[in-house]
Amino acid sequence: MSRWISTEPGEEAALLQALGISSVDELFQDVPKKARIGRLGIAPGRDEPEVVAEVDKILKRNKPLSDFASFLGGRISSRYVPAAVDAMLSRSEFYTAYTPYQAEASQGMLRALFEFQSLWVELTGLDVANASLYDGATAAGEALLFSRRLHEGNRFLVPASLPWEEKSVLRNYASGPNLNVEEIPYDERTGRLDLDFVRREVGRKDVFGVLADVPNGFGHLDEGILDLKSILGDIPLVVAADPLALSVLEPPGNYGADVVIGEGQGFGIAPSFGGPLLGLFACRKEHVRAAPGRIVGATLDAEGHRAYALTLVTREQHIRRSRATSNICTNESLMALAFVVYASLQGPRGLANLQASLAEKARTLASALGGIEGLQAPRFDAPYLGEFTVELTKGTADEFLDRLRRRKVLGGHSLADPRPGASHGPERILVAATQAAGDKQVQKYAKAARGAMAAVGRNA
Amino acid sequence: MTFRQARWEEPPIWDLAPPRTAEAPPTISGIPDRFRRKTAVQWPELSEPEVVRHYTRLSQMNFGIDTSAYPLGSCTMKYNPKVSEMLARRPGAADMHPYQPEATAQGALELIWRLERLLAKVTGLPEVSLQPSAGAHGEYAALLMVRAYFHDKGESATRTEVLLPDTAHGTNPASAAMAGYTTREIPSKDGCVDVAALKAAVSEKTACFMLTNPNTAGLFESDILEIAETVHAAGGMLYYDGANLNAILGVTHPGRMGFDVAHLNLHKTFATPHGGGGPGAGVLAAGERLGPYLPVPRVVKSGRKFRLDYDRPHSIGKIKTGYGNFGLDVRAYAFALTHGEEGLKHVAHRSVLNSNYVGLRLGKYLPRPFRPLVKHEFVLSGAPLKERGVRTIDLAKRLLDEGVHAPTVYFPTLVEESLMVELPETESRRELDQFVAAFERAIGDSPENLHAAPQHLAVRRVDEVRAAREPLLSWKDLRTAGAKAETP
Repeated sequence: MSRWISTEPGEEAALLQALGISSVDELFQDVPKKARIGRLGIAPGRDEPEVVAEVDKILKRNKPLSDFASFLGGRISSRYVPAAVDAMLSRSEFYTAYTPYQAEASQGMLRALFEFQSLWVELTGLDVANASLYDGATAAGEALLFSRRLHEGNRFLVPASLPWEEKSVLRNYASGPNLNVEEIPYDERTGRLDLDFVRREVGRKDVFGVLADVPNGFGHLDEGILDLKSILGDIPLVVAADPLALSVLEPPGNYGADVVIGEGQGFGIAPSFGGPLLGLFACRKEHVRAAPGRIVGATLDAEGHRAYALTLVTREQHIRRSRATSNICTNESLMALAFVVYASLQGPRGLANLQASLAEKARTLASALGGIEGLQAPRFDAPYLGEFTVELTKGTADEFLDRLRRRKVLGGHSLADPRPGASHGPERILVAATQAAGDKQVQKYAKAARGAMAAVGRNA
Repeated sequence: MTFRQARWEEPPIWDLAPPRTAEAPPTISGIPDRFRRKTAVQWPELSEPEVVRHYTRLSQMNFGIDTSAYPLGSCTMKYNPKVSEMLARRPGAADMHPYQPEATAQGALELIWRLERLLAKVTGLPEVSLQPSAGAHGEYAALLMVRAYFHDKGESATRTEVLLPDTAHGTNPASAAMAGYTTREIPSKDGCVDVAALKAAVSEKTACFMLTNPNTAGLFESDILEIAETVHAAGGMLYYDGANLNAILGVTHPGRMGFDVAHLNLHKTFATPHGGGGPGAGVLAAGERLGPYLPVPRVVKSGRKFRLDYDRPHSIGKIKTGYGNFGLDVRAYAFALTHGEEGLKHVAHRSVLNSNYVGLRLGKYLPRPFRPLVKHEFVLSGAPLKERGVRTIDLAKRLLDEGVHAPTVYFPTLVEESLMVELPETESRRELDQFVAAFERAIGDSPENLHAAPQHLAVRRVDEVRAAREPLLSWKDLRTAGAKAETP
């Protein structure tokens, strides 16, 4: 049983007495008998040590990343979370607070969110960021709806190389207003977007937005993205960018992005089997009234001192209801705090150096894997930072990854859409250089990969 | 009680050290020159103690549930158990990647599966998905499921309307509009759905009626069975907004009341922390008709093994990356295990007892526009304050000076100058009495002091009108505004 509800003897009796009733059941007389239930049918309560033992028993059936040489990445990273980030997230004034509706009582969180917004503005080269969305994929969905508010049309173009999960989320966000998500083909050698296709489709005048990602779904950089805006004209360009990559890459605002979104989990947030994550969103100031989500603004208090408050709330669901720019209410504020604390601990040089070291590690890894019979690594002839795509010329990605797993290597993840009936495509794996994987782990991967591919050869 | 919040004159982080803008980031070979960042990100280089002090000072200028009662109506600000925080940080919870092979994530899948089974019992709806990130996200996904269902039935062209009561949370109409529906408000009568008006409104156009029960006035919709019958007779679906589930745990559930689909807020009912605005977790539970439309993957048990099942041809697909906010699932599971059958029922009993008790006490100071028997929360009208030249907002700000958070204000909108008060089960009688005493002092204070409030916090009354009229939304904005101000 919990100690979270006061059980002082006589306490509930006194409350009942004040109400002039003898039993709490009288407070439920408005629930019709036919609507009542008997028992839920769940186990009796337990005390804290029993609960800890029970949950630990389940969690110990997991094999955490630290048990392996892990090269898992994609939008979710297993980057080290500095102890100081978790210490700040554990300040209970932050984590046990609600949305800062009462500005005066919530200056701490409001200021931290204002600093977070400012940081995403600096990274992206845009003007305004919101105080977070759920994750990178839903940020893409919101960016789609945002683009439609800026431009007429019913077609939204996205790279065919976008991760399947994001495409599925985008299609869901598009389905409400009956918009279409269409795929831009890529060059088979470089993975780069087919800009002629974009030019042709934009010419048909019903495109209301285009999304491109940096790095792309294959982990590579596509220089063509720098020229996209000149093709699009006044059609909004949405760039989905990795925040760490932006520490060394040109801010997308400088090459015409109207919206920059991203997944912020890699900045100080543990992967936690995929959540909570952090959706990033920035746009130009002239479009801010079309933006989704909470926004913190700087203002003054009654004595003329600097103060902060949630602002431009007439965009939001609690005021505008069915005409709101988005339905979002609860966001990922605490994760936004992690993001800004992480970046502040690293500093601009720390972030850039981390990206540089991951890029170097990725190149070492690619050359170690590239020499193995049956593996094309990297698959695409294009620059990359910390991740790249490997293609198998024999066997399946799932089988390969499973063989690696048995050798204590998590070698990346398959890019295929796992839904039955989905087009499976080539056997491709996204491989990430991770902080935890040093030279020894890279060699371990290469050795395991060689063994796995040799086994495929024997079975073939 | 006298209260003084910390008032640090802490500069913004960028004023702690000048950013080194001139430096270019390190060169990474193979990256085309055009793609390179030419100047470093403008952000300060600070030591760890500097960063930690900065954010610790900020934290001291923030209320949380650990510092004080937080009676925000419809937000269910209950104590967040520390054991849940500890468990969510275990390597088996935190150090897990969603794309790990299933064989290495059996514990995570098992925990999801177990929590889903438990929530199926709590909601009376057999099919559960933990994927949505928040309540509104769950609403949106559920409406897409409703749409897909009617599409398969060949009725999507006609069923274009979502009905909701005028007391609905703002997320309900916003989610409905995002899902492509037109919304239609059903007026309330004495704070509850006017069933006659609902009967007149339902038609072959009705896709769904969205309802929270108890509703935002804190009242149990006693006509719920008739409401369900009415909506179903018209061929529509009934949606349960689970924001207020706390009051009815173990007493009734959405399944028994006739709802077809529901979302739960684990960050309310199941005590996961709200994080200063998020993260949340907006679990979806569905009955037989909508179950097949839930997002993929579903977690299934085959033999003794757990796996992710993508073979759901009717599924709407994905609504976020991964499988939901797993870190919160771990916390919520620990909460539910601790309480168990009787404990969860006690949660409802005690939250309702608290709310009725405080409602009775505060009813002496301000009118309660609806019947006195409430569930998890109650509504007051601050309208009589106007005779003294005072408004609800002044009372709310004056309460902050007492070191307690203010209730939800100006919602529900059908009550003039409304205050919505919710003090969940984790507030002891002593805390309730202290809140009542603080309220009594606040409302009894002079109009001058009420207008001047708050006076004991890090800042005085914040000018929100100015914030919206002259938006300064980032450091970049502040720099531009500063440069403008310096130009003669």
